[in-house]
Amino acid sequence: MKAIAVIDRDLRKFRRNPVIIAMSVIMPIVYLIILGNSFQGKIKGIPLAVVNYDSGQYARRLMDNLRAVEAGPKTFFIINLDNQKAAVDGVRGGRYKGALIIPPDFTKRIILTTRPEVGLFTDNTDAISSGALNEAVSGALREITSRYTPIRENPSEVYLRSEDLYRTVDYDQSLVPGVVIMAIFMGTMITGVFNLVMDRFLGVDESYLLTPLTKGDIVTGLVVSGLFITTLLALIVFVLGVLITGIPLSGGIGQCGAIFMVIILTTLGLLSMMFIFLGRANHPRIVGIFSGFMNVILFFPSGAVYPIASFPGWLKTFARINPEAYAVDALKALIFKGVRFHAIAGDITFLTLFTLITMTIAIMTFKRTL
Amino acid sequence: MREKPFAIEVSNLTKSFGNLIAVDSVSFNVGSGEFFGFLGPNGAGKTTLIRMLTTLLKPTKGSAIVASHDVEREPAAVRNSIGVVPQAMTSDMDLTGWENMDIYGRFYGIPKKQRRERIVYLLETVGLSARAHDLVATYSGGMRRRLEIARVLVHRPAILFLDEPTLGLDPQSRRVVWEFIQKSRGEDSLTIFLTTHYMDEAEALCDRVAIIDYGRIIAIGSPDELKSQIPGNDIIILTTKGIPPDIEPKTKAIPYVHNVKIEGDTIRVYVDNGAQNVADLIEEVKIIGVSIEAVEIHRQSLEDVFIHYTGRSIREEEAKKVSFLVGAGVPSKLR
Repeated sequence: MKAIAVIDRDLRKFRRNPVIIAMSVIMPIVYLIILGNSFQGKIKGIPLAVVNYDSGQYARRLMDNLRAVEAGPKTFFIINLDNQKAAVDGVRGGRYKGALIIPPDFTKRIILTTRPEVGLFTDNTDAISSGALNEAVSGALREITSRYTPIRENPSEVYLRSEDLYRTVDYDQSLVPGVVIMAIFMGTMITGVFNLVMDRFLGVDESYLLTPLTKGDIVTGLVVSGLFITTLLALIVFVLGVLITGIPLSGGIGQCGAIFMVIILTTLGLLSMMFIFLGRANHPRIVGIFSGFMNVILFFPSGAVYPIASFPGWLKTFARINPEAYAVDALKALIFKGVRFHAIAGDITFLTLFTLITMTIAIMTFKRTL
Repeated sequence: MREKPFAIEVSNLTKSFGNLIAVDSVSFNVGSGEFFGFLGPNGAGKTTLIRMLTTLLKPTKGSAIVASHDVEREPAAVRNSIGVVPQAMTSDMDLTGWENMDIYGRFYGIPKKQRRERIVYLLETVGLSARAHDLVATYSGGMRRRLEIARVLVHRPAILFLDEPTLGLDPQSRRVVWEFIQKSRGEDSLTIFLTTHYMDEAEALCDRVAIIDYGRIIAIGSPDELKSQIPGNDIIILTTKGIPPDIEPKTKAIPYVHNVKIEGDTIRVYVDNGAQNVADLIEEVKIIGVSIEAVEIHRQSLEDVFIHYTGRSIREEEAKKVSFLVGAGVPSKLR
């Protein structure tokens, strides 16, 4: 098989460029660490200035509740001030994200039931912090008027009993399937058709276009060498992701084998797709621009960061043909739910068909002349 | 008895890139075992022609049979029979010399043992045995070129195409390349198709040469035949201080003068028997009013033939195409 010589050539060249492989591993891991820590699921540590002008019992109870939030979910931390103006100026000056003002007649109005109020000034340009503060302060206010705890449950009241089907998945753990897919994407951008573009750029392509290698030999050879390197990258990123975020893998060889299969299928699909788009490019700059563009349009609508169900209709339609969406879905099912082949059968079918179609088009459209 | 077929048969071969006709209805044959040179100024269409003959470019019109196979209908068979050294350096810098040759041999499906023996022999012949296992990135330009010529001989091709193989090489490396090509020719009865714009190279190596300009063949024959076709066997080159406007017709009127070419302050006078006539010519030209600074006589060379046919020593090249999308940096594929 002459394609094996193409594979050998490519792999030898990669072996002598380890920096590019190292960078392709580091990038998804950095992404995992940065995204996992900056895009936290729950908001924490917002500075909240509190000015309490009331010494009554309900103001004290409200302060207790606020301190409970500060100690528990840690949504905010309290800075006690004695002056409303200083607190609001502090918000305007960016020192605090919000200022809570408890007026002197707060307790009195609760007792007299004459619309008691507290004031919350927030920096609403930061919608996420402002929303979280509103929610946390509303929660603290809700509790203060309960005078007693009911001894007996009300039998007519409806309770929601929430049952988790799977073990709890932390936010950073939930990113691992996405970063594995990102590693695959990175791999497919530095192997396969990229090497063809580089050869064309350097004028080296002439040397093998002049040999009896067929279109199939060239495309297959480059795709298979790309598959080898990319699979290796994805596995390294997967193992590091699992170790960093502490995902317990209890499915044994079956689970690992299925994950391996999804990685291989996704890699083959993406490598072939890149061949269709970049098979005639002749400058690495084109690959660079294309890579940034494709990463955005494939990665974010893949469900790796946010659920596809919440997308608008047009983006959902795109997600239906996005191979990364199927890959993320399959990996999430395998990593977090254990081995459930019937749950990923649809994903595997799509990825297999996608690979077959893109590979065929890639070979057909590859131009063997200059 | 059937005559030995031609190694290369080209008939009305044409290649256009939009409005630009790079090769214009070219026809010629190259005999089996012949060393054929293709001469032309930069941008004359040499590389385009070689790319059509080696299946890298599809001709716009006409036909070419290479090693008894049609380049358009049987490109795979053509590629199996030829070895091509393109103008640009095409060896992989990240591979060693040996790896470059070995992988190339595998592209042709040569069995391992044969491949190994052939590579050892070829590397020895081009003087690269000691550096065989070093990365090509560490080679000099001359070493890289020698490796590339050796590489295309791994599969023992019937026809070897060399597109300006000595471009940019120092005189020592050029000589080594020449010797190697001649040695290989003798051993393997190779047909060699060489494009060059080094006239001394063509004169020293080629059995026949064709001169191409603006995509058309304007002269073809052995170097001696071409030289004899030009009137005046010798050339007297006069370097002057300024040239009066009527110098050309007046000099041409001298009986032993066959032709006059003026290039800047230099007058090339094609004469019979240069050594005898030089003193008389100087007198005649002085009478016309030319002040002579230097005189040189030499027997006609292929370069004189070339200049006779192509007219100027320096040629304005066509502007290279640069992509509007990605700018400069893409090696030109058009010529």
